[in-house]
Amino acid sequence: MRQLLTGNGAAAWGMRLAGAEYVPAFPITPQTEIIETISGWISSGELDARMVTMDSEHSMLTAAGTAAATGVRVFTATSSQGLLYAMEMLYTVAGWRAPFVLVNVSRALSSPITLEPDHNDVLAARDSGFLQIHCSTCQEVVDSLLLAYRLGEDERVRLPVIVNLDGYYLSFTREPVILPGEDVVSRFLPPYDPEETQFRAKDPLSQGVAVLGGSHYSYFRYETHYASQNGLSVFAEIGREFGDLTGRFYSLLEEYRTDDAEIVFFMIGSFATKAKEAVNRLRDAGQKVGLLRPRLLRPFPEHAIAAALRGVKGVAVVDQNISFGKGGILFAELASALYHIKERPLALVSFIGGLGGRDISNAEFYEMARVTAEAAQSGKIPPPRLLYTKEELARIQGLKAIASAGLHKEQ
Amino acid sequence: MQKTSANALIPTSHLLGSGTATCSGCGALADIRLFYEILGEKTIFVNAAGCMTLLTVYPFTPFRGSWIYTAMASAPAGAQGVRDALDLLLAKGRLGKEEDLQVVVLTGDGSAYGMGLSSTSGAMERGLDFIYICYDNEGYGNTGHQFSAATPHGASTATSRGMTGFPGYKKDLFSIWAAHNPTYLATVSGADPLDMVRKIKKAKDLRGPRMFIALAPCPTGWHFDASQTVKIGKLAVQTGIWPLKEYVNGKVEHTRIVTKKRPVDEYLKMQGRFSHLFEPRRNEKVLDEIQTRVNDYWKNVEEGE
Amino acid sequence: MFRIRFHGRGGQGMKTASRILGSAFFLEGYETQDAPRYGAERRGAPMFAYVRAAKTTIFERGIILRPDLVVVADESLLLLQSAGVLADLAEHSLLLISSSHSPEELQKKLGMVRPLLTLSMPVPKDIFTSHPPQSSACAAAAAQLLGLSLQSVRQALHMELSGLSDEKMAENEETANSAFLQMEPHRGRVGEQPETGSVSEDRPSWIILPFEDARISSPAIHGEATSLLMDTGSWRSLKPFIHKEQCSRCDLCHTYCPEGAISFDNDGYPCIDYKHCKGCLICLVQCPLHAIEAVQEDGSFHNNKQGDDQCDNS
Repeated sequence: MRQLLTGNGAAAWGMRLAGAEYVPAFPITPQTEIIETISGWISSGELDARMVTMDSEHSMLTAAGTAAATGVRVFTATSSQGLLYAMEMLYTVAGWRAPFVLVNVSRALSSPITLEPDHNDVLAARDSGFLQIHCSTCQEVVDSLLLAYRLGEDERVRLPVIVNLDGYYLSFTREPVILPGEDVVSRFLPPYDPEETQFRAKDPLSQGVAVLGGSHYSYFRYETHYASQNGLSVFAEIGREFGDLTGRFYSLLEEYRTDDAEIVFFMIGSFATKAKEAVNRLRDAGQKVGLLRPRLLRPFPEHAIAAALRGVKGVAVVDQNISFGKGGILFAELASALYHIKERPLALVSFIGGLGGRDISNAEFYEMARVTAEAAQSGKIPPPRLLYTKEELARIQGLKAIASAGLHKEQ
Repeated sequence: MQKTSANALIPTSHLLGSGTATCSGCGALADIRLFYEILGEKTIFVNAAGCMTLLTVYPFTPFRGSWIYTAMASAPAGAQGVRDALDLLLAKGRLGKEEDLQVVVLTGDGSAYGMGLSSTSGAMERGLDFIYICYDNEGYGNTGHQFSAATPHGASTATSRGMTGFPGYKKDLFSIWAAHNPTYLATVSGADPLDMVRKIKKAKDLRGPRMFIALAPCPTGWHFDASQTVKIGKLAVQTGIWPLKEYVNGKVEHTRIVTKKRPVDEYLKMQGRFSHLFEPRRNEKVLDEIQTRVNDYWKNVEEGE
Repeated sequence: MFRIRFHGRGGQGMKTASRILGSAFFLEGYETQDAPRYGAERRGAPMFAYVRAAKTTIFERGIILRPDLVVVADESLLLLQSAGVLADLAEHSLLLISSSHSPEELQKKLGMVRPLLTLSMPVPKDIFTSHPPQSSACAAAAAQLLGLSLQSVRQALHMELSGLSDEKMAENEETANSAFLQMEPHRGRVGEQPETGSVSEDRPSWIILPFEDARISSPAIHGEATSLLMDTGSWRSLKPFIHKEQCSRCDLCHTYCPEGAISFDNDGYPCIDYKHCKGCLICLVQCPLHAIEAVQEDGSFHNNKQGDDQCDNS
């Protein structure tokens, strides 16, 4: 049955369907609706789970990690500053190899403090050991929650997983969503079996132990890397299985009209559906344009990406993030994935857009396609471009005039 | 051989394994050893960053039960996750009652008095069923003994080396914790094992937050010979500097009233961290202040009890 | 390049020794590098420090292999494999060991044919409170062997020990002088060696690390009290010895032992687990009948079988 759900609602439903039993929580905009929804279900008796509001996201992630290590299925959620506040524990709990799911509702980072999304928050967790699934629709949010538990709990992986959805554009936006039935869920996601990795009196276990010396340390870190990489084949496998059960197939990449595409947009998150809209209109005008969207950012499906871009002339990389002093993070990731590919695209063009939720218009997508095609043809690659117009500059100048009124009084 | 100690109250089973990397003569290790004897191996210790991080170094652990290392700020939050998960497993029949564990937080003063205060407050306000042991060695011991919020006035530390030592005053963590009205709260000292054992046994059978601040004389950070740890621990009580007390049902009671207190000098003189108060000449001002504060504390106690 | 390693126990001053020697080199116009290396263990546990010195820029970093000189603060460390005193020695490596024995006696005691020198230290007045300035002595003796001047050593002492009282400083200077003098017959014995060429090194035996599942590839310990495998008895330089004939079996030594290294024999007398006793001597101080004596560690750290271990019922 289809019903209208916000991204936050879909995340809560994903948690509920997955049978998560324990929810350490802490409010932060724009995630709060998720824990409010769960709390409402618990108090009405609809949901048998335990939710505990902690004193901070740092504590929240600690409790999530220790509960997972004790052998229960755990869900938690945060955004932005909250994710950064918890960052020490993201790295720490990943090393315990106890799986659980963290929903991050992307919101741009301070400073300046703001509300709407970009991906610098979740990308700060890129190297933590958490796997990352990025959603572009509310339907994907609920499905990804189920995929995430199955993925993280797989014994080839055993790592926590972040499911990312954009604030506002998904979190507060209602769309039609099909909730998988309980029969589907019970076939797809068996109860979590922690095997011998849980704490109980008969099996003494010391967890998170210090490892001294770079040699021993290297072993544990590289094993975690392998476990993360295993996520690629596991995701491909369970994405097909999920499709067999629901008709909604999930592969590592979403390839939209890329079959004969010469120019491809490369991006993650909800803004990718905006790109699809632009692709359709460009196709209507006879241009061979497509979209390539990795669903997983960690592990990074670089072989699948390289294969998907074979024969493509130009890629417009749209980064909804900025690594100060370097530029777009996806751009660098993609470039490294393509370096050794002989038939790699002639042009990778870097665009920084959608920072702090700044919209990207259709016209801007058309222009990005045009610039990229020109670069592929001429071989002259333009420098990275911030999507920012003359009108926007005029508006900020107006605000700056007010903010700067007190400066240079002596002049 | 298992033998009943001369004083039958003190167990002798060496439950906590020897062979850890703590300094020779470590007062904190002595405290933890006694706690472990009484709490037993059906426990999970949730450890914050501090000297005791290195109780376990892969693949060596002194524990016969379970242990998990979290981070400096959030050991009580880690305890929350474990306790809640165990309760869920018990309630759903996935864990037998005999498989249950007592959850014990272990942190130093650096965490307890400072960075971990928020998560500790949260755990107490939620009435978490756990035991908290703060081994108080009055400084950031694991990093070379810089001053912490638990460092006493006048002590020289790696970050208070001047002629007057640490200018601040030891934070009254006992009162801060007591304001949360936990089930049980006590100060203890490994140099008074009878008092300590009685308190741990009492707490063991209660439910809810049960909080301990254990004095942990530190040869390395306080600059005294490792052989003097117990002697210094005893003097801390005999001079009145380390009051042994407990808080139950809203009331504070002192469990050792020393009628004839020794002058604080005797305690301070034994420790290199206070030597600048005696050499090259006595710093009467600081010494008087330390003595006066101790006197005032006990005067208040006598008037209150 | 000169490569010198100092071995000691945490608290014996070998880090300081390395810095004094480093500064002495520096004062004589050498490019210099000095650093300590500690493990998880604390005061009392074996540690080492090292110094590199050369007339050209030093690019090497980290642990020293093929040292020209190895200075050992405590002869008992030689018996302890984990201390690594004898690790990665080259044929030319010279050992200088702080010991009351003569070189020949020590060679015999250790069953070693390698050439070594010994440095005798002044006897401490009180084993608990007065520690001879080992750092200054070891640095000064090393400086002499390396051909550095006494003046540089003295200047380095003042640089590295600036916080000391005048009295302590004078004691350090005096000890350094006498250690320097002791090594006079061997002045300049340690020289720079030709560097090994790149072709003489074996290729690394790199492998592809296999994947292993999380149960065994996470830093978790499934087991109990595995710390008992650690020989912390090796940290000891003084060893408590219980005179049973004076013991009243009051148990205080057992109660206060922070390591849990004292238990009881079949007659109820306390006995010491020398494999784990770190030698803090709290037992000695707390014993009301003075039945415990401190004896110099002889290197038999964990005689858990017969004789030395006082627990005969294990």
